[in-house]
Amino acid sequence: MSDLLGPAGPEVGCDACFELLDEFVDLELEGVDADSQVPGMRAHLQGCPACHEEYESLRELAAG
Amino acid sequence: MALMDPTVDSAPLIDRLRVQQPEAIAELHELLLRAARFEAGRRRAALSHVRGEELDDIANQAADDALMAVLAKLDTYRGASRFTTWAYKFALLEAGVRLRRRAWQHREVVLEPDAWRALADRQQSAHEQVEQAEFFDALGRAIDGSLTQHQRTVFVALALNEVPIDVLAERMATTRGALYKTLHDARKRLRRELGEEEA
Repeated sequence: MSDLLGPAGPEVGCDACFELLDEFVDLELEGVDADSQVPGMRAHLQGCPACHEEYESLRELAAG
Repeated sequence: MALMDPTVDSAPLIDRLRVQQPEAIAELHELLLRAARFEAGRRRAALSHVRGEELDDIANQAADDALMAVLAKLDTYRGASRFTTWAYKFALLEAGVRLRRRAWQHREVVLEPDAWRALADRQQSAHEQVEQAEFFDALGRAIDGSLTQHQRTVFVALALNEVPIDVLAERMATTRGALYKTLHDARKRLRRELGEEEA
């Protein structure tokens, strides 16, 4: 049910998500705290299924 | 995993792309096609009714358009990630949009702001839980009482009927970003109405 109402905290929009997604993914793969470096990204990925799918694909692809 | 300087491994390719070297462009296209095919492969189960040849055509079209996008935006690459990660995201976006639209090609998208009522009834009977029934009652009142008609249409389609945002954007002649902004505003109003957020 919480999925219906989305994340409560501040989040980036889809355009900003696309702009920052590569940086966010590489920070995660480096083991850096990506959430503090790219605030609002995690909340958006929880709220937007399309961006979340692209995040999952990019993470898997970039991890090799 | 230590990535080191993200620009080091790809600097020669970027330099060659900047002077439009054909071999470099072919190398980039191959990289983008790999990403687009990867995305098609991930979605193969959901697209079991689509022939493999068509999926590969979609991947090739996505790689072609991603190539144009990457070349057009090459000067905006600032080295915050590895070049390959930066480039991959263009191919994944192009492929994802195409594949979502292909999956919904023959499916009707009902843009009825009141269509949520039938869905809420279905979910109540399926779960048979009082708590959920109460939630959907309250949600229904909040949808009726606090959302504009446009917000109701977008919220019902995206959040309740799970229409992919790119499919809805195409049918409503708008963008993913604009639709998500509407969804975000609608969710905020609903959370407030349902007492899950301070006014």
